[in-house]
Amino acid sequence: MTAPVVVCSWTGIREEPPEETEAALTLGRSVSAGLGVGLVWLVVGPAPQDCAEVAARHGVGEIEVISDPKLSTGLADSFVEAVCRFLGDHPAGLVLFSQTFDTRLVAPLVAGRLGASVVMNALDVAVEGDGLEVTAAAFGGDTRVVYRAATGRPCVVALLANSVVPEPASSPSSPTVSEVPVDLSEVHERVRVLDPARAEGPRLEDAEIIVAGGRGLGSPQNYKLVEQLAEALGGMAAASRPIVDDGWIDSSRQVGLTGKITRPALYLAAGISGATQHMVGCSAAKTIVAVNSDPDAPIFRHARYGIVADCNEVLPELVRAVTQVSDSHD
Amino acid sequence: MRIVVFAKEVLDPDAVGAYAVSGGLVVDDDGNITQSTIPRLMNGYDEQAIEAALRLKDSGLECTVVVASIGSDQTAMLRHALSLGADEVVAIEPPEGPMDCHVVASILVAWVASVGGADLVLCGRQASDDDQGVVPALVSVGLGMPLVTLARSVEMPGLGQPVQVVRVTPDGDEKVEVDLPAVVTVSSELGEPRYPTMPQKMAARKVNPPVLTTQELAVGAGGLEPAVVVARQFVPTLKGDCEIIVGEGPAQLADELVARLVENKLIKAGR
Ligand SMILES: Cc1cc2nc3c(=O)[nH]c(=O)nc-3n(C[C@H](O)[C@H](O)[C@H](O)COP(=O)(O)OP(=O)(O)OC[C@H]3O[C@@H](n4cnc5c(N)ncnc54)[C@H](O)[C@@H]3O)c2cc1C
Repeated sequence: MTAPVVVCSWTGIREEPPEETEAALTLGRSVSAGLGVGLVWLVVGPAPQDCAEVAARHGVGEIEVISDPKLSTGLADSFVEAVCRFLGDHPAGLVLFSQTFDTRLVAPLVAGRLGASVVMNALDVAVEGDGLEVTAAAFGGDTRVVYRAATGRPCVVALLANSVVPEPASSPSSPTVSEVPVDLSEVHERVRVLDPARAEGPRLEDAEIIVAGGRGLGSPQNYKLVEQLAEALGGMAAASRPIVDDGWIDSSRQVGLTGKITRPALYLAAGISGATQHMVGCSAAKTIVAVNSDPDAPIFRHARYGIVADCNEVLPELVRAVTQVSDSHD
Repeated sequence: MRIVVFAKEVLDPDAVGAYAVSGGLVVDDDGNITQSTIPRLMNGYDEQAIEAALRLKDSGLECTVVVASIGSDQTAMLRHALSLGADEVVAIEPPEGPMDCHVVASILVAWVASVGGADLVLCGRQASDDDQGVVPALVSVGLGMPLVTLARSVEMPGLGQPVQVVRVTPDGDEKVEVDLPAVVTVSSELGEPRYPTMPQKMAARKVNPPVLTTQELAVGAGGLEPAVVVARQFVPTLKGDCEIIVGEGPAQLADELVARLVENKLIKAGR
């Protein structure tokens, strides 16, 4: 295989977290070294200011920028067209995306157009013999599946957030930067946005402290305790899926496989069993604390500290204790 | 109009999770989970895709809802689809060799073509076994249809009108519109699927879903060659270093925990 590894990032309407792009560059570098091929960073949409710096740090050989204004709309057809045209002219062995809401949609479309193999929810890509093996989370994270990609076609992989720790190359590179001319004037977006989503306030993905409540709270009224503790800690309140499904709280608060992938310093889970589908969204937390009345709840296998008790009794006491500590030096 | 829903039979993810946690999950050398005690059921998101189709039908739209599934021995699952209110169901026997999402999509595309096309294809956002969620995208490319993902609701003001989809995004709901034919994937936010009534169940029990083979379908060149094969599957290990806080009653437990959080600079004393 001589075709390069292409890491593709999309600065569309929703910004891709820079550390996730760097994680993809880190993994892309290791695969390109293993295959003995080049590493290309394909920037779709306006190039980030520090992109040359980031690329150099990660040993990127070439930066290719496609910055047609249509690509900032965040709509799929222009993106897929632009990327497929680029990859048609510059065939890649591996096309690596960091998995975001937007790339979850477009990566498989690109693969479909190119006839490429495709693996989502990837945690790792390894060179095995003359081919690639992609490890991905399955069953909501309960298992890992290792896929062997067929040789002779490109492989599109979307890397799950928090799965690779970004690391700079041992020696930086001096990447070339080229603007790729792509004419998208003929592309007609088939999906029309009638009412855009409006991000309101801070995002769980950025929160340093998260207090999450689950079905163990027993009733919607008790979710208030979670919100009070979050407020006392200066963090954000989140939830497991069942209580979102039951309408206790908006789905923008859901953490997990089909919700938000978070990475706080502190994640306090109250009345949450710790199903893998939930833990996918918080296992990157530096410290997990669990309050659960069942000593055998799986959450304790992930937690650093655990309290085995009724969360509805402990949460108000935590609010009190936290408030006392915060007030102590005022 | 014809609404097609693709449904996949999966191993009950909760049962797989329970075995994985207890250390008792049995996986063979080809990466298949072999425990016969794990129930097989319809992928929950696919059941919600059927629900989305039935809601369109309930809204007065003149349509036929067809549920198609690739797999062996799917009679029970397809009868369930019928009892929910699907007008037609069809099972497609899997090919001899291994299947990946490319193979599945190629077969589904060939099947849709064989029945004269579809106006709306509804799928679950992902299958709760491999969680890949790429078949809808590959099908949309194969059929030349636009793709809308993660629907909380799917509505159509009338026949021939564009379909309006409310998508669940990280920034809240987004409302989009797309002309048919189109592929739409359904997310859990759509809500609970309906339960079949007893008479519906009884009626469905009398139906033997038709079974097609892939040979009967004009699958495109290379369509049965997988692009990825499963090399192996395993259960990841966890570190497990939890300190269980001890104390007399909630107040002391809370104080002990907060002391540890302060000690580890996770929360600041004084703000
Ligand atoms: C394909 C798929 C995707 C999914 N995606 C997600 C996702 O994105 N996010 C998500 O969260 N889930 C997701 N799930 C669901 C997931 O599998 C679990 O069912 C869910 O996380 C469980 O939520 P829970 O812990 O709140 O509820 P439960 O599992 O019911 O746990 C409640 C816990 O509370 C404890 N408890 C009860 N009473 C008390 C009390 N008084 N005090 C303290 N503790 C108490 C119990 O011991 C128990 O451990 C998904 C599932 C599937 C199949």
